[in-house]
Amino acid sequence: SFAHIPSTSCMLISVRICRDGGGKPYSESKILLHASTLEPHFTDCISRDQVTFRCWWSPGRLHNLSSPGTLSVFYLKKDSPTSEWKECPEYIHENRECFFDANHTSIWTPYCVQLRGQNITYFNEDDCFTVENIVRPDPPVSLNWTLLNISPSGLSYDVLVNWEPPPSADVSVGWMRIEYEVQYRERNATNWETLEKQPHTQQTIYGLQIGKEYEVHIRSRMQAFVKFGEFSDSIFFEVTEIPSNDSTVPFTLVLTFGIVGVLMVAMLIVISRQQRLMMILLPPVPTPKIKGIDSELLKKGKLEELNFILNGGGGDGLPAYATDFYQEEPWVEFIEVDEEDVEGEDKEDNYNSDTQKLLGLPHRTTEGCSTISYPDDDSGQASSDNTNLPAHDSQMLIASLLPGQPEDNEDTVDTPASETGERPLIQTQIRGPQTWVNTDLYAQVSNVMPSGGVVLSPGQQPKIQDNTSSSESKTQKGEKKNEDKEGIEEQTKNEPRFQMLVVIPEGSEYSAESDAIQTSTPPSSPVPGSGYQTIQPQPMETKPAAMPDTNQSPYILPESPQSQLFAPVADYTVVQELDTHHSLLLNPPPSQSPSLCQPQHPLKAPMPVGYVTPDLLGNLTP
Amino acid sequence: LPGRLKISPLFVALVCLAFCSRLSRMKAASICTNSQTGCHFLSLANLFDRVIHHSARMHGISNDLHSEFELYFLPSKNRVSRNCHTSTILTPNGKENAQRIAREELTEVILKLLLAWRDPLWHFHQNMARHHKFNNLSSNKSLEMSEMVHELRKGVQKVAEKMQMLGIISNSLGTLGSREALLASDSPEWRLMNDYNLLYCFRRDSNKIQNYLKILKCRIVPEHGC
Repeated sequence: SFAHIPSTSCMLISVRICRDGGGKPYSESKILLHASTLEPHFTDCISRDQVTFRCWWSPGRLHNLSSPGTLSVFYLKKDSPTSEWKECPEYIHENRECFFDANHTSIWTPYCVQLRGQNITYFNEDDCFTVENIVRPDPPVSLNWTLLNISPSGLSYDVLVNWEPPPSADVSVGWMRIEYEVQYRERNATNWETLEKQPHTQQTIYGLQIGKEYEVHIRSRMQAFVKFGEFSDSIFFEVTEIPSNDSTVPFTLVLTFGIVGVLMVAMLIVISRQQRLMMILLPPVPTPKIKGIDSELLKKGKLEELNFILNGGGGDGLPAYATDFYQEEPWVEFIEVDEEDVEGEDKEDNYNSDTQKLLGLPHRTTEGCSTISYPDDDSGQASSDNTNLPAHDSQMLIASLLPGQPEDNEDTVDTPASETGERPLIQTQIRGPQTWVNTDLYAQVSNVMPSGGVVLSPGQQPKIQDNTSSSESKTQKGEKKNEDKEGIEEQTKNEPRFQMLVVIPEGSEYSAESDAIQTSTPPSSPVPGSGYQTIQPQPMETKPAAMPDTNQSPYILPESPQSQLFAPVADYTVVQELDTHHSLLLNPPPSQSPSLCQPQHPLKAPMPVGYVTPDLLGNLTP
Repeated sequence: LPGRLKISPLFVALVCLAFCSRLSRMKAASICTNSQTGCHFLSLANLFDRVIHHSARMHGISNDLHSEFELYFLPSKNRVSRNCHTSTILTPNGKENAQRIAREELTEVILKLLLAWRDPLWHFHQNMARHHKFNNLSSNKSLEMSEMVHELRKGVQKVAEKMQMLGIISNSLGTLGSREALLASDSPEWRLMNDYNLLYCFRRDSNKIQNYLKILKCRIVPEHGC
């Protein structure tokens, strides 16, 4: 805008000043220009509340007009075409101020002011204005600040600054609508940060730094107008670090790291000692496991393969098959198939000893070895007191476990030839009271010897003896009926070797053979189904009171072995082998004193070592 | 029975929807048009708030346009002493005067001013659009300004009607305002104004309208601080 300089001044300056958005109002530029002049002039006219306004003048340096009263203020209110210049309604000489009260103030009406001296009128056309355009509101009051939040890093924070509108501005009625501009800076900085103008009486300042002191001040302006008021008094605030945060943050960090470390160590321990921990936490249920044999084979019922394996695998022997199925389970205690048992000759030797013991073969009696009945020390190894039967005799022995009356031959599995063969055999071998029935060839196993020998009760003897024995057995049964199982159980536990064993064809794990196989240590817990089991599914627990002579049940009645042991040799017999017809061959009880302890090979029947397979079992039953 | 059970919640939902829509209509949520008679439910305070907000926006636009004009054109010396065509309309010149005169008179003044600026602003916009004097932003502002005057006048008329209906002011409002306003709009003075003067005058008058409305609301609708 042009600035008109009176001609008294030698300078003629025409300046065009562009106004920016919130830049200097032109009155400032006017003051700047007039400062160079020496004439009296108005410095500023300001309204604070849009109801009244004031004007200040300067006397200038010329003419010595500084004394009060030499200059007078006149104004012109152009509210009608016939308006006139009037003098200032109220002077405040100490400030060189002319105050226009509400009665003399008209909004939206152009005013012009001029200074008059003695004879000179100092008038500038730029001194015309309308009151709403010269309004500069007062700054807000009651500045206050509150901490909003602190960043998680603890380095910056946000602050909410609030204030009250200037009391001079009548904002409640709405006569003035004020917007505020907030500025802030650090205490010792030079530049102010300016926030956007907004009409509300609060403002949030974001991103202030902890530990630094800040200064905030606010100024106000009429909405849709240009001129700002003065800045308010500054407020200072500072937020220092909170020590509790420092203590908690590292503490939580240490705690989390400690927990993580402990967990990792625990996991390492678990992983490294997995096996031991597994032993402790989950003790293995000892199922019988034969080294080199996969239990899956058994479950699938592939007993032919098992037979093959146990028989030595076609000459390769078990070690070739020892593929260590259970290598990953070191806690598994294998029931080792004794290789000596697997091999042929040793097997036969052992077996011969066992069968001979069981059957009470004559060589024992002749040899005088009395190790038959007391196989306590016998651990199943090849002993010198192997009984042996004559080859033909051994083959001819037929198990008399099957029921059958002496006159009833239908129950016997044996062929008549074998029966006939046996009869003389038995008769020849039996001394003393015939413990064997001439034709019956059945006996009741009263007890099972630790060596594997089966103690047979002399129930097959002549009726008298049968009765007596049966009565004895009865009484003994009655007395020790409850103990029988226990005794057997004990004996099964003590001497886990059996020659006679039965496989319950249910597909369950075969157990008797595992028990029969030598174990270095006795099994810690009784294997379910261990002990010898009868062929028929009705084991010993049923029909305990069956009489041998009346009830021809095919199971074996256990009886006290002791009484039987000292009885004549007819008390027990040994199941030697299965003959070619797959019938059990029993040794006659060794009535004669054992004289020879030479091992003899009793029977050489093709039979798998020590256990009966279900298909073989099928052949057994009549 | 199951059919009935199925229908009943749906029926209840529909009833609720209908009620809620009516309730929302009853609340001062939507802007009332001329044809809608349901605007009676809008409270007077809400109406005042709307027109005041409208007038504030109008004044802001006029101020922007005036500032832009000052960038392009050098203001003349006598810019302050120019006469606006609305100078013939007697308006209260201060807060006390505005608070002193009758409410009907104040309302009338507002309506007069708004009516007086209807045609000049329309022509101003036409002039700007035709001669491409300014950028599109200014052209849009001029259009917006002329439309706002029109809408604001209608809004204030609604306020006046409501006030008359509520018995706050007398019914002598309508005729007076229209006559004088017609006189003012028919005066050829405004055609002689150049654009800059027009903008200056309108800026002043829009500020007048804004302040008058504020005073009027404070006088009619009791609020704390008035």
